[in-house]
Amino acid sequence: MSGMGSGNVVLRGWALLAGLLAAAILVSLAVGQIMVTPAELLRGLMTGTGPGALTLRVLRGPSTLTAVGAGAALGASGTIFQILLRNPLAAPDVMGFMSGAGCAVVAGVAFGLFIPLPILAALGGLVAAALVSGLSFHRGGRQSPLTLILVGIGIGFFASAVSSFLVIRMPPQEAADAQRWLTGSLAARNWGHVLQVFGLGALLFIVLALQVRAMALLELGDELAAGLGARVERARYGLICTGVLLAAVGVAVAGPVPFVAMMAGPLGMRIAGVKHPASRLTAAAIAGATITVLADVISRSAIPGLQLPVGVMTGIMGAPYLLWLLWKEVEAGEV
Amino acid sequence: MIETGLTTTSLTLGYRERVVIRELSIAVPDQSVTSILGPNGCGKSTFLKALARLIAPTSGQVCLSGDDIGKIDTRLLARRLSILPQSPKAPEGITVSDLVRRGRTPWRGLLAPWSEEDARVCQQALEQVGLSDLADRPIDELSGGQRQRAWIALVLAQNTPYLLLDEPTTWLDLAHQLEVLSLLQQRNRDHGTTVVTVLHDLNLAVRFSDHLILFGGNGLVAAGQPEDVITPDNLLSAFGLKALVMPDPITGRPMIVPH
Amino acid sequence: MKAAVGLVLLFFVAVALTLVVGVRNAGIVDVWQAFFAFDASDPTHAVIRSVRAPRLIAGLIAGAGLGMAGTVMQAVTRNPLADPGLLGVNAGAAFAVVVGALVTGYADSGMMAALAFPGAAIASIAVFLVGGARSGAGSPVRLTLAGVAINALLLSLVSAIILSRNETLEIFRFWVTGSLAQANARPLEAMFIALVVGAGISAVIAPRIEALALGSTLARGLGTKPGAVQLSALAAITLMTGAAVAVAGPIAFVGLVVPPLARRIGRHVLRRELVVSAILGGSMILLADTVGRLVVAPAEIRVGIMTALVGAPAFIFVVRRLKPGALT
Repeated sequence: MSGMGSGNVVLRGWALLAGLLAAAILVSLAVGQIMVTPAELLRGLMTGTGPGALTLRVLRGPSTLTAVGAGAALGASGTIFQILLRNPLAAPDVMGFMSGAGCAVVAGVAFGLFIPLPILAALGGLVAAALVSGLSFHRGGRQSPLTLILVGIGIGFFASAVSSFLVIRMPPQEAADAQRWLTGSLAARNWGHVLQVFGLGALLFIVLALQVRAMALLELGDELAAGLGARVERARYGLICTGVLLAAVGVAVAGPVPFVAMMAGPLGMRIAGVKHPASRLTAAAIAGATITVLADVISRSAIPGLQLPVGVMTGIMGAPYLLWLLWKEVEAGEV
Repeated sequence: MIETGLTTTSLTLGYRERVVIRELSIAVPDQSVTSILGPNGCGKSTFLKALARLIAPTSGQVCLSGDDIGKIDTRLLARRLSILPQSPKAPEGITVSDLVRRGRTPWRGLLAPWSEEDARVCQQALEQVGLSDLADRPIDELSGGQRQRAWIALVLAQNTPYLLLDEPTTWLDLAHQLEVLSLLQQRNRDHGTTVVTVLHDLNLAVRFSDHLILFGGNGLVAAGQPEDVITPDNLLSAFGLKALVMPDPITGRPMIVPH
Repeated sequence: MKAAVGLVLLFFVAVALTLVVGVRNAGIVDVWQAFFAFDASDPTHAVIRSVRAPRLIAGLIAGAGLGMAGTVMQAVTRNPLADPGLLGVNAGAAFAVVVGALVTGYADSGMMAALAFPGAAIASIAVFLVGGARSGAGSPVRLTLAGVAINALLLSLVSAIILSRNETLEIFRFWVTGSLAQANARPLEAMFIALVVGAGISAVIAPRIEALALGSTLARGLGTKPGAVQLSALAAITLMTGAAVAVAGPIAFVGLVVPPLARRIGRHVLRRELVVSAILGGSMILLADTVGRLVVAPAEIRVGIMTALVGAPAFIFVVRRLKPGALT
């Protein structure tokens, strides 16, 4: 294949990916209890008046942008682990890191701690990751990716149970909100959330960009990577931390939304048609944002007069994908 | 004519389009040890499975004492014929005696409790394979040879006049291979059990078998007593192997020395 | 023998605690009198008879059902991670009942609870198909992941339906994690019968399942029909799981924690294991429920959360003990 042709294909892939995200954002802003036309939105954006402006500024703008930021962070996070463990099931949601982050946030609220949510989420995620890694450790044996994933699933179960346990201690109204949040929810997001997720997210993306070269080496296997001059262990821990923190940023604003992190990477890679880690991470971020925004629209508008938590929707979207993944592996005789 | 023993008539076996064995009519002599030999992929395992009704023939039939085994009730067949598949897997943590008692399955009624007879047969099977002392040990803790003997005890507990084994010596070292095969030979001499095995090692097969069935890439090459089957010509057509055949200094049976 | 005494003791402690402990603490004497010398004017007697006794029965049905269903499942699939909760069978049962209530508009009571059975059946068939258990190629890992996926999907749907109906938080919690708090409103008699039938089927086919656990080739050599055994096992699992979910909601992990203990105590004889599973499962749920009522009294922690707190570490423990071969 000529370089020119493949370049065009890739370009078309990126355009498609970006187009999908733009379309999702537009739909998210326009659709809801009250429909707002694109023309009104444009007028609102330009002049700052009319129904379009209110929608953008208060009603749907902040939650849509929060969805974009959280989805992008989760998508990139999932791809980091999928590349490191070479397994499509390796993602912070499947492996319990996000449940850990969510659990820490609930604990903070339940005990009335005055610690910012992102820090709580980051702590919870890191503790969960450390537990998964420590508990998968077998003397004399290497950690198989599947052991890590299964132990992670177990940690996720445990963290969710602890969260539910803590929710009981809260007053009824708070408990109901917390229960919703634990499913993953984008209700009542404001510009503070948008700032937070984009600020912290951008910071972490820069950190991630600095690690991409090491990641490309790790993809070749530890031994070859070491031979090519990578400090394997340090690079891996750095990437794991970045991945967990990215997931925590998403959790802090949207709760532990399931399956976005797992789906975004493969979806982005397929649409954009890219292979290099840097491109995969970018594609995953865009795909993650698109998935989250779409799931949010559907959960808001599927049942008139009712806002389902976005996590219910990503659960409904993600589970069939996971089943399809397993089914494909049956066909290929891999697992 | 009333046939006895395990026979096939015009048996054709295959998977989908691929025919593995075509129009084979052959008899396994009763109360003897028979080994099925041949190169990889010649269909010897398939043939054994067909004898045990684990796969249905494309055409033709397998008969046990004149009855088409396809028409015998599953449980009644399991009282007459037992099969040990290649590398079976034990449930985790199960002990030798618990494994062996599962061999009694076809003899137990739907609600029947464990009987004296069941216990006696299991005990006897354990003694025959020399594992009585290890009866309460988990299977996972045994050596490869002991483990294989435990599985053989399971099919012995099934207490059938016909005993089929698919490569019972795979993964065992030579000493354990000898141990397993002499165990089967002993069962044949003591109980008159008809033993049919698929084996890889030609010299071992010759040594322990009364009867051989040799397959090649294009079906049956020869069947009969070891002296008649193991000839340089037959080995060449079955395996493409050039070899000398000379009498074994210990048993006097044929021994194969490849060129 | 020692194990048998321990089991019986555990069981009686669990039963006694369930009846005695609560907001209104009762003595053993009160319990005795409530059943054998009932005094209608004594509020303690009333609580014991109308609240705690149903709770006890529901806990026993759910615990015995899930424990035995887990044991049968693990034996048939040869998978130490199999559990009706984790593999989505519970969620299937809950989903069917909730959908039934949604479609007909009736509250879920007697008749509606019967939908738990087809729900459980369909979910278990789905897991078995995707997990590759049918073809014998299913590794524990794949079966578990398929179960996790189906579980997540069904629970998402259950949440969506319940939230869309603006039901109370209490109902949400019952159908998502399981609880004994609704025990006196559940169809206990009918589900007890279903449980007994399921247990009966399991006991009858137990020797066949033992043969099947040796692999389908050897099982056929031993004169069993793997397909027929699997179908009967499926029926038994469906009945027992369905009964459990109908009385207590989708409680996870009982079917994971109980079977390995039952295997040790029952020493790999399935009929013995089933008896042990029933006792252990019942005791586990009752104790979990009692602890859940004590720790944050007067509020209570649902039994499903308590079993998850115990069960999740147990899950990790089992994963760590999986043979490397099981992970390829």
